[in-house]
Amino acid sequence: MGRTARVGFLRQVLYIVAKDFRAELRTKELFNSMFLFALLALVIFNFSFAGKMPVRILAGAMWVSFLFASVLGLNRSFVKEHEKGSIEGLLVIPCDRSVIYFGKLLGNLLFIFLVEIVSLPLISVFFSRNEILQKPLQLSGILVLGSLAISSVGTILSAITVNTRTRELLLPILLFPLVLPVLIGAVEVTAYIFQPKGTISQWIRLIAIYDIIFLLVPYLLFDYVVEE
Amino acid sequence: MEAIIEIKDLEKVFGHKKALRGVNLKIYEGEFLSLFGPNGAGKTTLLKSIATILRPTRGKIYFRGEPLDDDSLVLRESIGLVSHNSLLYDDLTAYENLLFYARMYGVNDHRERINYLLHQVGLYHRKDDTVRTFSRGMLQRLAIARAILHDPPILLLDEPYTGLDAQAARILDELIENLKDGKRTFIMTSHDLDKGFEHATRLAILFYGEVVFDRRKEETSIEEFEGEFWKWVGQQG
Repeated sequence: MGRTARVGFLRQVLYIVAKDFRAELRTKELFNSMFLFALLALVIFNFSFAGKMPVRILAGAMWVSFLFASVLGLNRSFVKEHEKGSIEGLLVIPCDRSVIYFGKLLGNLLFIFLVEIVSLPLISVFFSRNEILQKPLQLSGILVLGSLAISSVGTILSAITVNTRTRELLLPILLFPLVLPVLIGAVEVTAYIFQPKGTISQWIRLIAIYDIIFLLVPYLLFDYVVEE
Repeated sequence: MEAIIEIKDLEKVFGHKKALRGVNLKIYEGEFLSLFGPNGAGKTTLLKSIATILRPTRGKIYFRGEPLDDDSLVLRESIGLVSHNSLLYDDLTAYENLLFYARMYGVNDHRERINYLLHQVGLYHRKDDTVRTFSRGMLQRLAIARAILHDPPILLLDEPYTGLDAQAARILDELIENLKDGKRTFIMTSHDLDKGFEHATRLAILFYGEVVFDRRKEETSIEEFEGEFWKWVGQQG
């Protein structure tokens, strides 16, 4: 031995993210399908509401499109690890197994956030809403908070459903009800950013608490989830 | 002499199916244990349990005398796993695959180590090609390089010859022979009696989750062993 040195938790998490990102850069299959799906959903909303819609509906349409697009990425997240059995390669690496969860979560969050950021200028054009691009920091903040919740729940559910035959169906069935509180909160906060009215601190608190819970629970349970 | 791995009363249950029924084995440093058995005998389950991929339902596994409980990091640092799946990523190149695993294992001087191993397995000229374009034999050679990146003292080989043509199998034979240094311990599951017998220093047969035959190679002959193997496989019908 003597050929190796223990690697830190965060470093291993980042290596998994880098690995997934490198593979995605080569194929672009995940980003392209997620982005196209989000785009199509937004186009449909645009036609359904004839262009102009109230801010709350606009915020809802945005988040529903992002959530549906996220499912595509989340579904593939662990499928890729199972295709050539590479999940077993990860499981025998000397690391806390939650490293795998956080690596996958961060990768999913990155892809979802990228899709959202690229979609924003298009949403602004489709719905003739300049205010979408006028508050980029606030908007990025709620996008990260909301997407973190979708990614954290979605990643653990993706790991749970990957070995089932109906995983494409099962993941959204389990995910949508679980992220509903976050979706409502994210819509409220996004609508407020577009048109400040009332208070939103309770919604931000709700999403933040939700994020913390769904970062902690998988951290404790992931070892059992990945066991066959 | 202390066993490098000791398995005591190991049981693994999947739903209502008992895959392992009280396996007891002591594996010593430098041994090459070839583990045979019909499909469903529990060979892969046993290997996965040793690799800490599966949690035993009952019983214990000891590594250098210490029980593997929740902290199995020391054992995981010491094992390399070669499966019939390559455990590689199709969309990464051979070099990128090894780089990822080398970083995760914290391999010192990983660039030199990766290049050295790619030369060893005869894939250096393909190091920048995505694994998707590799043949089964090339994948298995790269899988060996991945498994020994961190120079593990224990190598677990799960049906490594599955799907290989004669030439690829010969190359794999050479690679395994080169890895035998008298100190490294091997546990290999195989359906191929000749290959398993050729490499082994010890032979075992697993049948319905139980070890029904366990002997050192010098205590038996290929004919006697084959007879024993078919006796058990025949029972399966």
